[in-house]
Amino acid sequence: MSKPPNENLPAYKLVVVGDGGVGKSALTIQFFQKLFVTDYDPTIEDSYIQHTEVDGKWCILDVLDTAGQEEFSAMREQYMRKGDGFLLVYSVTDKQSYENIVNFHTQILRVKDRDVYPMLLVANKVDLVHLRKVTEEQGRELAHRLGIPYIETSAKDPPLNVDAAFQEVVRIIRNQPAFDLEKGRRGRRRCCIV
Amino acid sequence: MNIDAADSLPTWRLWGEERTPGAVFTVYLKKVRYHSPNKSVSEQEDNISHLEWETVRVRLVKAATLVKLVECLASDEGELETTYVNIFLATYRSFSTASQVLGLLLDRYKLLANDSDEVELPDFLRQQHVKTLILALHVWLDTYPEDFVDPPKFPALQRLDEFCKENVPESELAIRVRHRLEKLLQDVGERSARVPTAVPVDNGDTVHEVVVDATKVTDLSEYKFPNINEVHFAEQLTCMDMDLFTRLVPHQCLGSVWARRGEKPGAVGGLAGGAAGSVLATVNQFNAVSLRVISTTLKQSLPDRTLIISTWIKIAQELRVLKNFSSLKAIVSGLQSNPIHRLKRSWAGLDKDTYQLFSELARIFSEENNQFAQRELLMREGTAKFANTVGTNDRQLQKAIQRQLNQSGTISHGTIPYLGTFLTDLTMIDTAIPDYVGEEKLINFDKRRKEFEILAQIKLLQSAANGYSFKLDRKFEEWFNAIPVLDDKEAYDLSCQLEPHVPSNTLSSVESAKSKKSFFRFPKSLSIGFLQGHKKNDSVASTNSGSSSSSFYLPTSHETSWRSSRGLSPSPLSSKSSSTSSLVSLDVSLGSTATSGSNAKLQQSIDSASTTMEPEFYVIKVTTDCQGHAKDGQVMYKSIMLSNNDRTHQVVRQAMLKLGLEGRPEDYTFAQVLAHKELLLPNDANVFYAVNTAHDLNFIVRRAKKL
Repeated sequence: MSKPPNENLPAYKLVVVGDGGVGKSALTIQFFQKLFVTDYDPTIEDSYIQHTEVDGKWCILDVLDTAGQEEFSAMREQYMRKGDGFLLVYSVTDKQSYENIVNFHTQILRVKDRDVYPMLLVANKVDLVHLRKVTEEQGRELAHRLGIPYIETSAKDPPLNVDAAFQEVVRIIRNQPAFDLEKGRRGRRRCCIV
Repeated sequence: MNIDAADSLPTWRLWGEERTPGAVFTVYLKKVRYHSPNKSVSEQEDNISHLEWETVRVRLVKAATLVKLVECLASDEGELETTYVNIFLATYRSFSTASQVLGLLLDRYKLLANDSDEVELPDFLRQQHVKTLILALHVWLDTYPEDFVDPPKFPALQRLDEFCKENVPESELAIRVRHRLEKLLQDVGERSARVPTAVPVDNGDTVHEVVVDATKVTDLSEYKFPNINEVHFAEQLTCMDMDLFTRLVPHQCLGSVWARRGEKPGAVGGLAGGAAGSVLATVNQFNAVSLRVISTTLKQSLPDRTLIISTWIKIAQELRVLKNFSSLKAIVSGLQSNPIHRLKRSWAGLDKDTYQLFSELARIFSEENNQFAQRELLMREGTAKFANTVGTNDRQLQKAIQRQLNQSGTISHGTIPYLGTFLTDLTMIDTAIPDYVGEEKLINFDKRRKEFEILAQIKLLQSAANGYSFKLDRKFEEWFNAIPVLDDKEAYDLSCQLEPHVPSNTLSSVESAKSKKSFFRFPKSLSIGFLQGHKKNDSVASTNSGSSSSSFYLPTSHETSWRSSRGLSPSPLSSKSSSTSSLVSLDVSLGSTATSGSNAKLQQSIDSASTTMEPEFYVIKVTTDCQGHAKDGQVMYKSIMLSNNDRTHQVVRQAMLKLGLEGRPEDYTFAQVLAHKELLLPNDANVFYAVNTAHDLNFIVRRAKKL
């Protein structure tokens, strides 16, 4: 790992969505854990911002996780509009959360007014083997149907694929065909090869 | 607002950790000034008379067993640890129950009072501890009376009553407990005698003052949106929010309750009834406001729609002045929801100042930097008397706030926060910090301190919320609740009918998009996205094409039941109606007459013709200059729904019907009334595409001049 360069890095806003209780917050916290070793304070400004290196390129990840606000349904679209990429999280122990994924997917595409958008299907809590109700096949089938990649995660110690999930979304954002054009228009992209 | 002063005061210094059996303490050294000498001072008076301060050792519980935590309610000297008691009582439900804690408290009392050998304490300290335990029980009864309300038998209170009889008869505590128990038992008796079936107990006894204002009762048109007094509207929303917020039970926001609401099967129903009922009630009101923003906006045709948006923005501005951030965010969210946000033409009609005002209001809730703007604002104004914070770029808000200051120098408002931010913070704390620590699995009390910082903010704002002095206007409340709402799909479909979606998936929609290209001018950015959509679509068409929208809505009835099972659907919508994707006409008067429950249901008319066509319509207004229609210079308009396959003669026929004109359509001409001229429409024109949408959609039907 090289040090984060000082130049203006591209910043990606990643939004974590999914039903209440699927462990969204655990993924987010796990991803930022290194920052919270001693005294975690959820209210400070840069709680959810982090420099990350993905495939040799540095970027700034700004994660928006509104865990706890799932029932404020009207504000969901408001924060979806801000996202550059999305983690669609369900719990493999909760069939309902799996079935609701398609709603989030549709809502994001509508808000973005696009046919495809950078998203990753995240099957969380795979450590709970005995309580598992949604199989890997079902997860992959859904991912295929939505045309997005699939990953299995666990935020329990030792964590599985947590960093990988966030990094994968960065890759999806970078690889989307229209990405250069759009980022160029917004003037935020500063490509930086380390 | 930092309750745990240990972190912030520079006079506190971390000294280290101390371990005793079953407990770990963090030890601080604290500088204390000698303002009022206490016992320890007087003992060494001679030595320190010239000193201004000394350093004392402060122990804070970091983690402990439940028994130890209960012991710590009193200090080593037997004094009540007030701050600790507050934190403990606010958070103990995360690791214990009321009856367990009560049991431990009473056991400890007996142990100390009965000279048990288990406690090695000098007599005077023993006495002090005993007194303090009684004091702690008083504090508990005062601050969390609901912990002792467990009908029909009230076991906790019964137990406390027996304890008092045995140990402290005739004490103040004994009398209090006796009274409370008798009253509760009596209430239960009366209730069961009056109502044979169980009635859900509304644990708040707040009785609203009902204002019977003659002008308001007689003038029903007052509640016709958007012709409404925005100040009154904002005050009434604030009234409703204040009621909910002051009744909010802070510890129901804790991660162990709210964030884990989905973990136990069947817990959702239970939550609605109790465990997090006061939180859910707040959420429901927030959604109710947003949903009404959406439905009232979509209901109107174009020029009026802009007016509705503008009215909501003005109400939002009043809410900002009132420091009601809950309904303020609800309105901003409603306006930023997809069905409204995407209506470019409606937004384009807003005047510059109003749009700027909206941007300023929306900025308050920016997600940037972890909701920094909102947190900052709440810090500054939470307990201030009135709104006084504006950013340097907030020109419109500056004016509004200045106006309020000029109008009355003595105003005083409370504050109602947006609860969601607290809920997320508490969820994150709950996730990030473990409940138990070490091999002994001691209860992590530092986590509870952290949570209490948030709860204390909520409590502080609750007490500030009493600063409002508005009176609830029942008529308004009834009218507001009766405004019909749309579910997600209905709102989106209707929005797409008002301004068509730029389609990108199916062949047919591509065709129709082309045919309209010259008619709708999309902003550049949008058309770029549109083209991109196509490019990408070529490669993923097989996985994505057309399936997404249908698979979203197949489980509609299921979705509806999900919503209502959580009590989140403020106005039940017929689930059948949402399975059709066609014209939804909100044929309901928003006037105050529409207050009965049945009226609140949306009347949906399905235009069978439009289901196969590109769904789209305008509502146009048509008048005539024929005899009998011009009364005292007043112009009588009739509204007609215009769909995209309507030809001139069809529209004229409809107009004739509505206006009561006789003859054949061919005998009439049909023209759009523009600012200084009229646009005459040819007989066989497609009216939908021919109209000039830059102007109001007003039309006139005239009898054709005979040649």
